[in-house]
Order: sequence, then C-alpha cells, then structure tokens
Amino acid sequence: MIEQPRASPGPGMKPRQQQRDQDVWRHSSAQFSLSFAIAALIIWSWAGSEIDIGRLGASGGRIADFLVRMVPPDLSVLPVVLESSAETLRIAVLGTFGCIVLSLVLGPLAAATLTPRWVHLPIKWLLAAVRGIPLILVAMLMVGAVGLGPLPGILAIAFHATGMLAKFYAEAIEGIDPSPMEALDSAGATFLQKLRFGAWPQMVPDIVRDTLFRFEMNLRESLILGIVGAGGIGFYIQIYVRTFQYEKVATLTIVVVVFVILIEIATNAIRRLLR
Amino acid sequence: MATATLTLRNLSYRYPDEDTEILAISALEVGAGERVALIGASGAGKSTLLRLLDGRLRDFRGDASVLGHSLDPAAPPPRSRRCAVGFVFQEFALVEQATVRRNVLNGRLGRTDPWWSLLGRFTDEDNEAAARAIEDVGIAELAERRVDRLSGGQRQRVAIARCLAQDPRLILADEPISSLDPVNAETILALLRDSALKRQATLLISSHQPRLVARYVDRFVALDRGRIVFDGAPRALHDERLAGIYEEPADLTSPERVA
Repeated sequence: MIEQPRASPGPGMKPRQQQRDQDVWRHSSAQFSLSFAIAALIIWSWAGSEIDIGRLGASGGRIADFLVRMVPPDLSVLPVVLESSAETLRIAVLGTFGCIVLSLVLGPLAAATLTPRWVHLPIKWLLAAVRGIPLILVAMLMVGAVGLGPLPGILAIAFHATGMLAKFYAEAIEGIDPSPMEALDSAGATFLQKLRFGAWPQMVPDIVRDTLFRFEMNLRESLILGIVGAGGIGFYIQIYVRTFQYEKVATLTIVVVVFVILIEIATNAIRRLLR
Repeated sequence: MATATLTLRNLSYRYPDEDTEILAISALEVGAGERVALIGASGAGKSTLLRLLDGRLRDFRGDASVLGHSLDPAAPPPRSRRCAVGFVFQEFALVEQATVRRNVLNGRLGRTDPWWSLLGRFTDEDNEAAARAIEDVGIAELAERRVDRLSGGQRQRVAIARCLAQDPRLILADEPISSLDPVNAETILALLRDSALKRQATLLISSHQPRLVARYVDRFVALDRGRIVFDGAPRALHDERLAGIYEEPADLTSPERVA
C-alpha cells in the first residue's frame, strides 16, 4: 500500500484528528475558565477588604517609628523571655510526644493496606476533621477545660498535630513494598520478624522525617499559644506589643529567631545522621 | 537417578476467580543435585509452579513432595522446611533502605532464634554464613553499602547471597535474569550454577530465554498453558519445537497486521 500524503489524511484519520482538536479545545477552555476564576477571586478579595493604598503610604513613618523605638533592645527581660522560650520548647516536645503516641495507634488503623475499608475510611475522615480545626481554637477549648498554663498547650498541640502525623504514618505504612516481606516469609521468617526486618526498615526514614517536620511545625505554632493563656512565650508577645514596650519586643524577637534557627540546625543534623 | 528432590503427581492449580487451570502437571520428578530450567511463554505457569513449590501458593490439587515432605494445600510449610528452600525473585525483593549485609542476614531468619533476632542479634554462625554468601557472590566490598545505591546486577547478587545464606537444599529462581542486560545475565546464571554445585543443592530456574540458559542447566522442562510439553536435555530441544513452545497466541496479533 502506498502511504497517504499527510495533507489529505485517510478515512481512518479523520475521527482521530477531530478527537485531538476537541481535546485541545477542551483543555484551553478549561485553562481560560480557571484563569478567569482566579482573577475574579483576587478582585473580590481586594474590593471586599476596602484597601486604601494611601493609608499604606502614610504608615511608613509609623513603621519607622516602631523600629526606632525597638533600639536598643531592653535586655532586662532576657531571663523572663528565655524561661518562657524554654516553656514553649517543653510544650512543643511534650505535644509532639503526645501526637506520636496517638499517631502510632491511629496511623496503622488509617492505613488502607492494614485495615478493612470500614475502619480506615472513618479514621481518615476523623483525621481530616482534626486537621480542619484551627490550633488556636483547640487551645482555647483546652484552656477552658483544664485551666491556664502549659498543660492546655501540650494537649492542644498533641490533638491538633495528630491530624497530620497519623495521616503521614498511614502513608508510610501504605508505601511499604510487600515483596521483601514475601521474601522473608519464603526464608522462614516469623510474622514479627517480617515486621521487624521487612516493614520497619522501609518505614523508618519516612517516619523520622515526618516526625521532625511536625516537631518544627509544633514549635512554631506553640509560640502563639500563650496569647490564649496556654503557656509559653506567646503570653509575653501579647503583653509587650499591647503595652507598646517595643524595646522588650525587640529582645523577644531576637530570642525567638535564634531559638527557631538553633532547633532547625539540630533537626537538620539529625536528618543528615539518618540519611 | 539420585533421590528425588521434588515429585509431582497430578498436580493442578487454578486461581480462585478463574475457570481454567493455570497448572496441570501429570508427573514430574527432579533428582537431588539436578539443574533444571523451566521454560515457556509468559503465562505458561512457570512462576505459579515455583511459588507453589515454595509453599506460598496453596489450594492446589494432587500431590507435591519437596525434599521428602508433602506440601499441605491448606497450610504453609513449617519454618525449618521453608528455610531449606531458597527463592531468588525476578525483581530481587530486597529491603532497599538496608545494607547488603542486613539483607543477606535476612536469609538467616528462618534458622536463627525468632525472639533474639528481633533485637537485631544474630549468632556467630549466622554472621559467618552471611559473610560466606556475600563472598561467594563476589560483592564483599559492597557489604556495608545500602541496596538502593546498587545496580541491577549487584542487586541480584545480593538476592542470591540472601538465598545462599539460608543454606538451601533446593534453589528456586523465578526469572532471575529477565531484568538484566546480557552480560549480567550470563554472570548471574553462572553464579547460580556454581553456587548450586558447591552446596550440592538442586536448582530450578524459570526463564523465557532458553538459548541463554541452556549452557547452565542439564535439563529443560517446557510448560505450555500449564502442561509439560517437553522434558529432556537442552540439545534435544530443536528450534522448531522451541518455536512451537513460544508460539504467539492468535489474539496477540497487532492491529496493523489486521489492517
């Protein structure tokens, strides 16, 4: 058979070309609709917020005034700030410990490869709902339930972070390659040996990475817990800013920044060690 | 013939959701120390037979005896018998995040204490067996390297070392060379043959590259739709017969040819 010239496609080509044209048209119209929707969303946000550019310009002087008043930082509050930073760290550590314990129970239950549908689906929905509740709201409820101090902060972090960490643990379990387990079974391994030598080494890197990530998030989030009375440095952030003591805010900001950087250096070192 | 390593009589198997039998073997006997290649097209039942002999596929009908013990269609073989049968997987089935030595030690799990091993403790005997197996497959210098940093050929050596660490009397290799290049494939086949010879183990290799495998075995068993269609020396299997075994089913003809 002689090959048909490209300009006049054979009878078999026509529907395929039409299909391709239709796909291209559908794709580009979808792109156009999406761009339009995003633009509309931005315009709606802008119009609804009654933003006055003039006010933004006039604020320059005031921002400069804040900055001037922050210098020199008032170091007399350093002991208080350091102690409350330590309390924030304690809240983050214990909150993370709490969410690890909860996730070790809920993670396996939420793993589709381990439990039947009627178990893992409701648990996954529950975790999504937990993730949907803002931390500050949980903290306020906990303060109401157990009173002021670090305890409500720890409980709030443990509860809130489980929504994410248990999901990550479930995904680490679902990502396990079953073939090494089969090989271990063939070699005569017991069920526990298969978990210990087949499943566990595959999960550890993911679990450690996710837990460290969540710890860093918990630390940052627990900085603001004190605003609602749930312990830590947030209490002083609120007091100093509201009473215009900017030289104390400066000390506090420096401590928080150094503190977060030190923790990140430490967690990165752990990650490198485990790689 | 020496004492039989495996004996099959009227063995048949079908997958639970299918009507046709994937395996229907009236009789097969393999003697101790024999090296046999199981050949046939994809879907001929080679992998099914190997998994069945390894005790991982049950619910079969008929009689199957491995290393002098009958396989139970209702229950997995006990640990002591599972570790006497070594299995080399097509896609290696290694723990990618663990080192070579760790993976090879996994081959000792059936022989070591099930509780102590959970703490990561292995006996001197286990460690020596693993070291010997790593040495035998020629990757001693890679022992502490993680498996995910190895090439395909190196990975298959690790998988063979894990199998050898079991001290198996029967080695089942399921398409061990199908994901390797020709040079690595020859090396792996030689390694399997030499390891089996050295340990006086029986070797059963499945492959759809009969010409490549022929030099490393002393017997071909060809399967076609679950039935044995040839059983004899590799040189007795002439090209026409081979073409018959690998004949393309009619429904696989390409649309171009139809047009």
